[in-house]
Amino acid sequence: MAVTTDTASDERTTATDEAQVPRKQRTSGANVWFGVIAWIVGIAFFFPVFWMVLTSFKTEADAYTTTPKIIFEPTLEQYEGVFAAGIGPYLANSVAATVISTILVLLLGVPAAFALSLRPVQKTTDVLFFFISTKMLPVVAAIVPIYVVVNQIGMLDNIWTLIILYTGMNLPIAVWMMRSFFLEVPGELLEQASIDGAPLWRTLREIVLPIISPGIFATALICVIFAWNEFFFAVNLTAANAGTVPVFLVGFITSEGLYWAQLSAAATLAALPVVLAGWVAQNKLVQGLSFGAVK
Amino acid sequence: MAEVVFDQASRIYTPGAKPAVDKLSLTVADGDLVVLVGPSGSGKSTALRMLAGLEPIDAGSVRINGRDVVDVQPKDRDIAMVFQNYALYPSKTVAENMAFPLKMRGVEKEERAKRVREAADMLGLTEYLDRKPKALSGGQRQRVAMGRAIVREPQVFLMDEPLSNLDAKMRVQTRAQIAEMQNRLAVSTVYVTHDQVEAMTMGDKVAVLADGKLQQYATPPELYDRPANAFVAGFIGSPAMNLLELPRSSSGVTLGGIEIPLTREVTNAVGSRDKLTIGIRPEDWVLESTDADAGSVVKAVVDVVEELGSESYLYAHLAEDTATKIVVRGPGRVKVRFGDPIAVRPTAEALHVFDVESGERLD
Amino acid sequence: MIDRAEGWRRRAPLLPALVFTIIVTQIPFLLTLFYSVQSWNLVRPGSQSFVWFANYVDVFTDSQFRQVAINTIVMTLGSVLIAVVLGLLLALLLNRQFVGRGVVRTLLITPFLITPVAAALLWRTVLLDPTLGLVNFVLSPFGASGTEWISQFPLASVMAALVWQWTPFMMLLLLAGLQSQPSDQLEAARVDGASAWSVFRELTLPHLRRFIELGVVLGTIYLVNTFDTVYMMTQGGPGVASANLPFYIYQRAFLGFDIGQSAAMGVVVVIITLIAASFALRLLFRSFSVEEGI
Ligand SMILES: Nc1ncnc2c1ncn2[C@@H]1O[C@H](COP(=O)(O)OP(=O)(O)O)[C@@H](O)[C@H]1O
Ligand SMILES: [Mg+2]
Repeated sequence: MAVTTDTASDERTTATDEAQVPRKQRTSGANVWFGVIAWIVGIAFFFPVFWMVLTSFKTEADAYTTTPKIIFEPTLEQYEGVFAAGIGPYLANSVAATVISTILVLLLGVPAAFALSLRPVQKTTDVLFFFISTKMLPVVAAIVPIYVVVNQIGMLDNIWTLIILYTGMNLPIAVWMMRSFFLEVPGELLEQASIDGAPLWRTLREIVLPIISPGIFATALICVIFAWNEFFFAVNLTAANAGTVPVFLVGFITSEGLYWAQLSAAATLAALPVVLAGWVAQNKLVQGLSFGAVK
Repeated sequence: MAEVVFDQASRIYTPGAKPAVDKLSLTVADGDLVVLVGPSGSGKSTALRMLAGLEPIDAGSVRINGRDVVDVQPKDRDIAMVFQNYALYPSKTVAENMAFPLKMRGVEKEERAKRVREAADMLGLTEYLDRKPKALSGGQRQRVAMGRAIVREPQVFLMDEPLSNLDAKMRVQTRAQIAEMQNRLAVSTVYVTHDQVEAMTMGDKVAVLADGKLQQYATPPELYDRPANAFVAGFIGSPAMNLLELPRSSSGVTLGGIEIPLTREVTNAVGSRDKLTIGIRPEDWVLESTDADAGSVVKAVVDVVEELGSESYLYAHLAEDTATKIVVRGPGRVKVRFGDPIAVRPTAEALHVFDVESGERLD
Repeated sequence: MIDRAEGWRRRAPLLPALVFTIIVTQIPFLLTLFYSVQSWNLVRPGSQSFVWFANYVDVFTDSQFRQVAINTIVMTLGSVLIAVVLGLLLALLLNRQFVGRGVVRTLLITPFLITPVAAALLWRTVLLDPTLGLVNFVLSPFGASGTEWISQFPLASVMAALVWQWTPFMMLLLLAGLQSQPSDQLEAARVDGASAWSVFRELTLPHLRRFIELGVVLGTIYLVNTFDTVYMMTQGGPGVASANLPFYIYQRAFLGFDIGQSAAMGVVVVIITLIAASFALRLLFRSFSVEEGI
């Protein structure tokens, strides 16, 4: 290979320099451009949400212009209007259905996940596939009998109906997800503890639980997201009494156009808790939705 | 073929922090195998990756065959690299893995097949050519990684701890194979390891790094016989050299009640220092009879005996100063046990003398 | 070998969850099966009677049902595939170092988190309204103002909202895939002389394959059940132009009160889904955590 001389090397710092002159690397401009594109796309995807929040602080007159307004005098009157329209009880129902069903999911799901991971039952695979297969069956095929049964036992428009159904809906995901966290606990830990003579429940409480508690937290957040956003059961099985926030939003469908700003305020209120939960749990979202298949 | 030069090359990961590689200067002569050795975190991989073009060179330069490669992309440096975890492409077969660099350089299909076959022959991989890496043993994967480097016929081989994932026996075998192959191909090679035995057995020259700085760059015998500082002295050789901080006496230093004389040149070099770090290799002690005169031998008490069959190592502490520990090589089947007294005397001409503060060699 | 007592000790923590899930999710399906061979209209009390397979005959001769089935396939697969492609492009962008990467990722995932009902309302009004919507405002310089998106392109409008919501999920999934690719393989490829495009085609894409498959399977499982978006944006209309099976069955059951008919449709959907799911399940966990875990 021929020795190539490089003109740039003339500017090199000499070997005797004490304080070294930093060399300018050829930084690829491409990376900067990718960053710019990513920002543009990110903002574009987010923009409708931003606009929704922005509109929620407008007066109806400001919201209802052919040229979208960015500069306006912000007002809280839409939020007052939404509460005056009675979103309060719906919010309370959503919170109750979400929180209680998530607690039930954890109470049922943590022991089950344990029994499918660290101390596995026989036929673990079958049980796991049973759980996941329930998520493959379309809910719509079950809604008719659910409606009939709930109607017959007088539980229509009752928050506990939603709580039970949401627990059933989230339990399989939670079991799969928490199982994948349990599997990350080294098995030697349990063996070590049993050699040390600690009873199993103490080992679980004092050693395993702290390890998997971040995972349980993430699982809970994902259950919260699903329960809060659920609409199908809510719209078919509840009304004024036990209705959740999505059901409240349906009320705007008749009067949209006229009350965009108020609608935006209601939609913002509906979306806010879950958006916050999702931002916190974003690293675990995929794990939850993929039943723990992707870490 | 190629000569590789590091010229005051530095890498600073985080501005303001200590450089990971600090003004490294060394020359790899054409066809040589140079080993970069040092403890974990000493900057070996970083230095290698600077040569590969995988890390930027923040100051100074790196030249391959006289060409400054600071702004040259890895693919244009005409190098081949073997990674610690082999970095085999999991979706490709062994043959496809080895052919990949050729394919990327637009080498004809027949030529590719031919060169892959030759390399596979040389490495004993012929029967595995259609397998995916997942279906290979650790040793086989290692050879595929070597093969992928060889087929390129590059100017320089770079290897980053290529043997560290093999078991002890495989490691010794493969070590010899790599050295032999490198000799045959006569391609300049930079080889990174933390294992000083690998460094001593494989390197034409060895560069010892610590804290990103080059400590010494020399042939293995030189490194062993004349370590440039206390760090190299302690790092090269197993068990490590005894490094003892000893007070000056009129004509030398005192150890365990006896006087160890220093040669005139050393005495001149030492000047007015009143303490010195004295290095004594385990084999540079002479075991004396325990009845010997107190003034002529150092008395010690054995803590542990490592019996290797052909020789033994006695770990002991001084009788009059229990905090001072020494290691002494003894004959095989030595009779001493834990708690036994021994008497030793250092071979005066084999002493290494270092400055207490800087650790620099004084003679 | 696990003895009987130990077997039950192990099973005990599992049983509550298992029993609960069976009751809540399986019994309704059995009832669906039972109802599907009955003629039963809720608004006519006492109309319940056993009719064998008459409901199924009706379902298969119902041309609207066929239209709706096709809509469901187009809506589901179309949205999933577009979301996967967009998600892949976004994941490749987000896999690079740039200032504010975490912020951009957070912005990008937000559509996925928005309550679908709220998202659908947002699309229907603020975005797609013919006179005041942002889409027409943005497109007006190109002479496209006044387009009645929802009534002229109902299916596409629904799909647009679905793609907007699901692209972030695919992006997250594929980003996880990209980040699980060992960096030394990419470095080896750079040293081996591969261009960025070769690296992508020869190494990254094969590595991503199972993630892409997973994205398609999961997206399909979730999107085939889409109800909120259709309900809020188009009510399935005009006619059944944008109705999918969940919405259509809902209409039959809760607007037509025809329990027998909607149950039969439900059974048909379950059968189709089971066939698809048995493939999907195998694909889904062929190379993921199940094989390590069990
Ligand atoms: N990507 C990096 N970012 C920041 N610091 C790094 C990075 N890689 C290595 N370092 C630091 O640089 C030093 C040298 O690392 P390395 O070259 O990997 O050492 P070696 O290969 O000798 O073990 C270490 O202190 C290490 O922590
Ligand atoms: Mg290293």
